Amino acid sequence: MNQPVIQCEGVRKKFGRTLVLNGVDLNIPRGSIVGLLGTNGCGKSTLIKCLLGLLKIDSGTATVCDEDPWDLSAETKNRLGYVPQEIKLYPWMRVSQVIDYTGAFYENWKADYCEMLLDKWELDGKKWIKSLSGGQLQRLGIILALGHKPSLLILDEPAASLDPIGRRSLLKSLLEKNAEEEQTVLFSTHITSDLERIASHVAFLDRGRVNFFGELEELKDQVGGNLEDLFLKMNSRSEG
Amino acid sequence: MPVSSNQFTVSPSSGVPIFRQLIDQVLAFIVAGKLKSGDMLPSTREMARSLEINTMTVSKAYSKLESEGVAQRVRGRGMQISTALTKGTLSKRKSEFQNQIEPALHRGRQLGLNDEQILSIIKKLLGGRKP
Repeated sequence: MNQPVIQCEGVRKKFGRTLVLNGVDLNIPRGSIVGLLGTNGCGKSTLIKCLLGLLKIDSGTATVCDEDPWDLSAETKNRLGYVPQEIKLYPWMRVSQVIDYTGAFYENWKADYCEMLLDKWELDGKKWIKSLSGGQLQRLGIILALGHKPSLLILDEPAASLDPIGRRSLLKSLLEKNAEEEQTVLFSTHITSDLERIASHVAFLDRGRVNFFGELEELKDQVGGNLEDLFLKMNSRSEG
Repeated sequence: MPVSSNQFTVSPSSGVPIFRQLIDQVLAFIVAGKLKSGDMLPSTREMARSLEINTMTVSKAYSKLESEGVAQRVRGRGMQISTALTKGTLSKRKSEFQNQIEPALHRGRQLGLNDEQILSIIKKLLGGRKP
């Protein structure tokens, strides 16, 4: 856990006249599981999209695996996994076809690993995408992001439409990957209880800035209360 | 292994940092005699897997136990309950015990117990455990 995998300095992003990111500073150490917390509309998804090169930052600097997110090499993209907030897939494909199709874009795709996850998360490869429920789609989205065993996994509200069993199973898988392969995870959510077990660090995003970043256990030890209490405290502080 | 990882429990949303919960449980196992000097603790990874928590959290708990002299890192084997726990001169150990028991005696008096009653409780507690 030496060199940061993600580095941001003064990252700003505007949509028209609306300033969404107003100088984000963030360093994410290798091998950490970071919970990105913030109220609705505070810029979590925008920050994630900027880090993935899906949006161009207006000013400031950001690096992902030492590269400019806007200009990531194929090699780095091969090491990145992303689960978007809303999974959009081809409704006319079957589950197994989407997996094969996605796998074709990666050099080191692990088809057997995907099979194992399908089995574990009770998804039928023969099902049509259009017949999947929201939660099933989300599970599939996660499998698609894990299929190439990324060393950096970025998830945007991945657990929002999963039932408690699915959530717990996802979190467990993330922990295992993290322990076995030192996978770094950035995980945006406002469900604080999801993070209590698994996060090593938390970042609080508020009005376009990171107003706290640090080890979760240290924060709890010093401030007291669970993550939800801390979340409320952080937000009341910025209001006051 | 004297104490396995599934004998530990954590309550992630309690507000008490998870590493503190682990430390408290190790200390409780020691007090209860389930962990003795020289016993090994479950490995960091085993503990994290079983409790479904971050390995860093377990490492943190173990490091604190180490810095407090409760456990020691043994190369290639993991964390061991410190053999130094029962070391120190008798008078030193006695005075440490005295410091621990003084507040309890004080509390007993506040509760209106006389010496005889306090002694009977202590005897009962001692009687319940093999020397």
